[in-house]
Amino acid sequence: MEQPVTAAIVEDHPVVTEGVASWIRSDPGQRVRLVQTARDLAGLRSAPGPPAEVVILDLELSGELVTRQIPGLVSAGYRVVAFSGHTDPAIVMETLDSGAHAYVSKEEGRDHLVEAVLAAAADRPYVTRSQAKAMLADQRPARPALSQQEQQALLLWFQGMSKASVGRRMSISENTVRQYINRARAKYAATGRTAPSKDALLARAIEDGVIKAGEIMSYKSFARTAADPPLGAPGH
Amino acid sequence: MNAAQPTALMSGRYQRAFTIAVVFLVAGWHLAGAGGQLLHNRTAYGSFAFQAAMWLIMALAVIAGSVLVLHDVPGWRPAWAVAVIALAASTAAAAASPDARMLAVNWAWGSAGWIGVLVLFRRRFTELAWFLAAEAAAILAVQVGDGLHRTDLAGFLALLAWSTGAQVAVAAGVRALRLAAGQAAAAAQSEHAARERAATAEIVQAARHARWLALQESAVPLVAELAEGTADPGDAQVRIRCAVQAARLRRLLAEGDEVSGSLVHELHASADVAERRGVAVEIETAGPLPPVPGPARRVITDAAIAILTAARSRVRITLAAVAAGIAVSFVADTGAAVLLPAIGDGVSIEHQQDGAMLWAEARWNSP
Repeated sequence: MEQPVTAAIVEDHPVVTEGVASWIRSDPGQRVRLVQTARDLAGLRSAPGPPAEVVILDLELSGELVTRQIPGLVSAGYRVVAFSGHTDPAIVMETLDSGAHAYVSKEEGRDHLVEAVLAAAADRPYVTRSQAKAMLADQRPARPALSQQEQQALLLWFQGMSKASVGRRMSISENTVRQYINRARAKYAATGRTAPSKDALLARAIEDGVIKAGEIMSYKSFARTAADPPLGAPGH
Repeated sequence: MNAAQPTALMSGRYQRAFTIAVVFLVAGWHLAGAGGQLLHNRTAYGSFAFQAAMWLIMALAVIAGSVLVLHDVPGWRPAWAVAVIALAASTAAAAASPDARMLAVNWAWGSAGWIGVLVLFRRRFTELAWFLAAEAAAILAVQVGDGLHRTDLAGFLALLAWSTGAQVAVAAGVRALRLAAGQAAAAAQSEHAARERAATAEIVQAARHARWLALQESAVPLVAELAEGTADPGDAQVRIRCAVQAARLRRLLAEGDEVSGSLVHELHASADVAERRGVAVEIETAGPLPPVPGPARRVITDAAIAILTAARSRVRITLAAVAAGIAVSFVADTGAAVLLPAIGDGVSIEHQQDGAMLWAEARWNSP
């Protein structure tokens, strides 16, 4: 059996921390091990022992949004899964642009948090419905161009269908559905601010055949500068 | 409507009353005062017909001036045209009077001054002052031309003090009253606005109270049961109750949000009944939505009600902007297929059944 993924929770409400811990415990495969809990980011940094692979970060700590702290966590080597009561697309986009691997709203937690943590540990995308909503609602001029198939798969997923049902609807396999959604996510990782986590996501997406390097370059061209590390260099 | 408009309306009503009072005063003076004097001294004039003609011209000036002020005709030209006609007629009447008794038989000076008050009282005070001064100067010039004696000068000054003094006093009084009326109207308006705000606050308060009461009946007992341990979160029934209450709380929070168009609100209203039945309803929107016309909204909400009625425990409704319109979708555990209502008014509906789960999408395309 593989080693479980180590995770930390940064959450200012103990009852939520307890809920997340119970979801992790109730995972039949015991694939995630909770190694740290902290009420704020200072608490995470001062915690003893080796750092966790994935940080489950509540975006609102003591009433303040901490999206700006995400780049710091990412460059310290953490993979960040944002866990928030917010579903505002602007906040979701800001979080992903800052280098978080995934965004899980509190309503989606039970069904998606453990899967999102596992995907993040492997630098694979995990697109929740709230994330799909933010991508569909994106009106920024610099948003990536999604293909019609990617757009359709995202829309059906946002609407609440299972991936199997999305596949039936689009007459494609469930695996292809996943591929379309993940490719859309990878295209987002290729835009906006640079972050080692985004490069790692992209590198893995290329490795998995989700997206071709050529498809990324056209998006990277306007966002990257010569000083940035070359593509494909994992951040971890 | 801004707050200034009703204020203007109210003070306008007071001002009209003052204007009518000035019209009656001036017309009354010309008819009774000047007319009476003219008839009383009718034998003293060289030509009574000429004096009567001047009187008629000034009567027409009174009528024209009254029409101007009652219809609120703006601008200085019509006002001053009437004033200058009155001035000319009055001067001509004075010039045609017998030299020795000009001041004694003069009926026109007072009328000309009152006509000036009538057409100029709404304008700057200096304009009326200039007019009255010109009128006095013209009469004095006529008197000088006739030969100015000490007694004439005394008579002139007495008449000047009497008629001009009264005219200036009336004009000043009306101005003061108009100002007071404006202030009174503004005060009344602000009181009215305060009453309106209080009434609105009461309505908002009542709506809040109603929502709070609804929560008292539903969410609060559930939370109490959970706290006491009489409700077990492991029980599927309890979880469904929690989901319903959570959906209601979410909707309560969403009521403060900006929602584009009434479609979202109508869907919320349609969901209400299903929620009462214990179905957890989730409504999500992605992106700015285009406004949907009424008939198309009816087709969409009809589909929503059919699905909500058939749903066993949960429904997710989403609204998303698509290329040329809007896609409203429903994912619900209806068990069996649902009979969806007729399409039309630019709305098409597609659906797919996967086991117990129904997916349906109503698309409206803008024409």
